[in-house]
Amino acid sequence: MSSNLKAAGKFLVFLGKSLFSILEALIFGLIPRPRKNVAGEIVLITGSGSGLGRLLALQFARLGSVLVLWDINSEGNEETLQMAREAGAMRVHAYTCDCSRKEDVYRVANQVKKEVGDVSILINNAGIVTGKNFLNCPDELMEKSFDVNFKAHLWTYKAFLPAMIANDHGHLVCISSSAGLVGVNGLADYCASKFAAVGFAESMFVETFALKQKGIKTTIVCPFFIKTGMFEGCTTRCPLLLPILDPEYTVRKIVDAILQERLYLCIPKFLYLMLFLKSFLPAKTGLIIGEYLGILESMEGFTGQKKKV
Amino acid sequence: MNTIVDTAIFLGKFLYYFLESIAFKIIPRRKKDVAGEIVLITGSGSGLGRLLALHFARTGAILVLWDINQESNMETCRLAKEKGGVKVFAYKCDCSNRQEVYSVADQVKKEVGDVTILINNAGVVTGKPFLDIPDHMLERSFYVNAISHFWICKAFFPAMLQANHGHLVCISSMAGMVGTSRLSDYSASKFAAFGFAESLFLEYSMSRKTNIKFTLVCPYFIKTGMFEGCTTKYPFLLPLLEQEYVAQKIFNAILEEQVYLLIPKFAYFAVILKHLISPKMMIVLEEYLGADTCMDSFKGRMEANKPQEEVERKCQ
Repeated sequence: MSSNLKAAGKFLVFLGKSLFSILEALIFGLIPRPRKNVAGEIVLITGSGSGLGRLLALQFARLGSVLVLWDINSEGNEETLQMAREAGAMRVHAYTCDCSRKEDVYRVANQVKKEVGDVSILINNAGIVTGKNFLNCPDELMEKSFDVNFKAHLWTYKAFLPAMIANDHGHLVCISSSAGLVGVNGLADYCASKFAAVGFAESMFVETFALKQKGIKTTIVCPFFIKTGMFEGCTTRCPLLLPILDPEYTVRKIVDAILQERLYLCIPKFLYLMLFLKSFLPAKTGLIIGEYLGILESMEGFTGQKKKV
Repeated sequence: MNTIVDTAIFLGKFLYYFLESIAFKIIPRRKKDVAGEIVLITGSGSGLGRLLALHFARTGAILVLWDINQESNMETCRLAKEKGGVKVFAYKCDCSNRQEVYSVADQVKKEVGDVTILINNAGVVTGKPFLDIPDHMLERSFYVNAISHFWICKAFFPAMLQANHGHLVCISSMAGMVGTSRLSDYSASKFAAFGFAESLFLEYSMSRKTNIKFTLVCPYFIKTGMFEGCTTKYPFLLPLLEQEYVAQKIFNAILEEQVYLLIPKFAYFAVILKHLISPKMMIVLEEYLGADTCMDSFKGRMEANKPQEEVERKCQ
């Protein structure tokens, strides 16, 4: 009898919490959430030498954060450093690091801890794409793709999460992709690595929640193709619903999501609807939508970055 | 004008497939005949792999069994032959080792033939909070559960494409659709396996319109010993699944050429909800369903040898 009461009690608590969170979501759908102040926070961005990483660095420079820039390309990284200083950053540190190599990540992480301090905002952004059909893709290249797009996240978490937990203060940002939520034609290895990044970040979010580490925030970003040169040649048949995104716009949205401590960010908003439809529609119908939107051919014209991976 | 025609065609196809799927909910789909097909199952030495092998043994299919554990694999081989398996070939293979995968694959191609039904089932789980998992275990999870799928597909897919005949089955997990505490490495690897299989499905089934079939399976925890010690808060919604039940469902899904299979049925609802509700609501739901505590008493395969009664007692 008492176990029934307990179960009923638990259910009521669950209903109460659900109602509260629904109300909260509705309210914040109308009024914007408060944005946190990140001045003085130590922000680490991987892949900061170009593209999204560089733009993120500039945004955080303007917000007064301390920047730690990691990239395998020291030239591009130095350029980002200069630009960040011009944008107003007081403290910027650039390190050359090959995120695909665990030893490199740990070595440079130790340097950062000594020279800068404890990283409080970790942005795993570095990524590569082979764009080759998996049968034509050499195994080494596929593994490299995995090493950069996903395994690097394991090593950076291991390096910086302990301090975040000790300080009960930290923010883990995963720059994944819409290809991390839905399989994409012609991107089997990239998809797999981006799916892994999403799964890992989400699991870690649930784990920090279960371990009651309330000070650790997570943000998982899944944008459609962005015009940074990485996906040069890709097309979309429906620019109204699924446009090839403008980098500046994308970065503004990402930084906004981080400041509001949102868990998921899908850009453009149409992705939310697509994912919802995909979750319950039978496989063939979901794909008909994809075919209509031209997603199935979007990788046909892929040429990618001009410079070597 | 073009847009109108395109949209009309799209709406037509959409309606057709939607109605077709509703129809198939009522009348059962035809189950294909797999006699003579060459079925390769990784991780066939125990658990789900063994049960699937036994199911296929009864159909007259030719079995190719891969497992890192030679002893248990030979046991599966023996059981399969007892069940009526006409031709059963067992190979020792560490799926996380690329060279080994390719060399054993070559052996299979020479000694048996071209694999037509490929079941990527081998999996390992660590089950500890992320910071307690040693780096090499993180890598191992990944190599066995996800990267091995690449190499195995690379080895056998070309022949399937050539013959325009084949079926790829990916045994992922609910943890491959929803992140789970204490399963960060396992979850990530299962997400990756799912994403990889889904990309291939889109490419070969929809885009290139080949005759290759795909089945992606995401079960909740199964009582095979792999997740020994796990608990569930509401067994009527998310039960710890019986092996035999899951194997039967997967086997049927393969024969009916179903694309996505989530077990139990509540999982479909959970996934739809996940895409509908805000993160805070998701946390509340996960807390209620016990997603944050289900792995707390995880022991894994070491404890699997203890008697069933003790396990039942712990589950209460």
